[in-house]
Amino acid sequence: MEQTLTPSRRTGLKADFSLPDMLPALLELWRRRELLFHMTVRHLKGQYKQSILGYAWTFVNPLSQMFILTFVFSTLIRVQTPGIPYALFLFMGLLPWNFFSASLTSATGSVAGAASLVTKVYFPREILPIAAVFTKVVDLAASSVILVGLMLYYGHPPATTTVWVPLLFLIHLIFTLGLSLPLAALNLYFHDVSFLVGVALTLWFYLTPVIYPIDIVPARYELLFNLNPNALLIEAYRRVVLQGISPGAERLLMGLAISVATFIVGYYLFKRMESGFADSI
Amino acid sequence: MRTASDTVIEFRNVSKRFRLHQGRTLREFVPALLKGHGFSEPFYALRGVSFSVARGETLGIIGRNGSGKSTILKLIAGVMAPTSGEVHVRGRISPLIEVGAGFHPDLTGRENIFMNASILGMTNREIRERFHEIVSFAELWEFVDTPVKRYSSGMYVRLGFAVAVHSDPDILLVDEVLSVGDIEFQEKCMAKMREFQRQGVTIVVVSHGLEMVREFCHRAIWLDSGHIMADGDPRHVVSEYERAALGPAPSTY
Repeated sequence: MEQTLTPSRRTGLKADFSLPDMLPALLELWRRRELLFHMTVRHLKGQYKQSILGYAWTFVNPLSQMFILTFVFSTLIRVQTPGIPYALFLFMGLLPWNFFSASLTSATGSVAGAASLVTKVYFPREILPIAAVFTKVVDLAASSVILVGLMLYYGHPPATTTVWVPLLFLIHLIFTLGLSLPLAALNLYFHDVSFLVGVALTLWFYLTPVIYPIDIVPARYELLFNLNPNALLIEAYRRVVLQGISPGAERLLMGLAISVATFIVGYYLFKRMESGFADSI
Repeated sequence: MRTASDTVIEFRNVSKRFRLHQGRTLREFVPALLKGHGFSEPFYALRGVSFSVARGETLGIIGRNGSGKSTILKLIAGVMAPTSGEVHVRGRISPLIEVGAGFHPDLTGRENIFMNASILGMTNREIRERFHEIVSFAELWEFVDTPVKRYSSGMYVRLGFAVAVHSDPDILLVDEVLSVGDIEFQEKCMAKMREFQRQGVTIVVVSHGLEMVREFCHRAIWLDSGHIMADGDPRHVVSEYERAALGPAPSTY
């Protein structure tokens, strides 16, 4: 009798998710990749509908940030970036930072925003925050056009070491997903989380070398920056694209290890909380 | 005699407890937690409910609002976990998603069909193969490329129902939705559900429409405050429910 009801296909959620369930859960996520694609497209299409500029809004934010920050930090306060025009230096940091920041903000509200679906039909819930992050990957790719424009304008072509960018981005993406997942889940239990994320991101922005080079950080604060994956990644992006310096293998592996660990912990926490989602909405 | 493999849904002593006002904000939660009552008092939506549904059976669940009907559907759909007891479900489930739940208002009918069908577990290939059938059933060819926010509520229901019934369900969950569409479409839906019945699809209906339960279901369960009050022949269960609902005031009065 006990064996007769083994489900032919697991469709519902798991009430007591534990570590051995991780791999099957990831396989199930892979099986539902088409849904992930549809959700991402839905986000993208819905993003700027009913606005006059439409998708052009994706460029307005980074462009305006670039103009105002360049004015403040190269005209009013002179931040030294030897050999690199400040606007280019800034934008190379702003692009990945905005990706990270927009991803976290959007992913945090993603499950709560799909409340009516979550209470009606089961699908792996992590698809919601992951789709929110993937949407920002597309936005990032689009805003990269501005970077290309800046390079042409300043006659500063990308270095050959730019080939490292995909690997750096992969590390960045895994890290971003790893933080997005538990935030999306926690936000269902405490609506404060979305506000907290906003505050944390503002502070984090200033503690990441986006508007200033990492060299100006005094030695005694170095640890703070070495523990900040965003700082390490943004510095690495700048080096490979603008300065032609390859990242050290040791640092890369370290970054990859931190990202993967963040993802595993984040994914686990998300799946642990998943069974209570419909109760909390 | 029914063999065990014919059972597609089984509830074994299932209880579902909700904590009202769970979560909300840290400002409310932290002080309450420090005082030792982080959660407000629990509320039982289901208490020790056991039943099983055989393949091909059509079950109607009746009861007042808040009696636990929708909780049963959510447990079957796998969106909730029971507090205690076991829920076993076998097969592909298709819930008739409440009007508009799965739709993005800015996307067109076509885009929403792909989205919704994908949520129900269909692959892109399956959706493409059935796309024509889905749109024809919903009678929405003229509006298939119109954003669904311009749809009437009837059109919403038609689209939602059309997608759900074409997703090849083994188990169809129906929650009141049919009361919205026009009479003609309601009849079309009933015809489709009868076709499902003939094909051996298991159907669970939550309904206020007692007539529908009597006519359409093989079996009915009457729920009250999370308990099963009666389970069996729909005519019998419905009349018992009616007697209790319309009958004399409770004895404590």
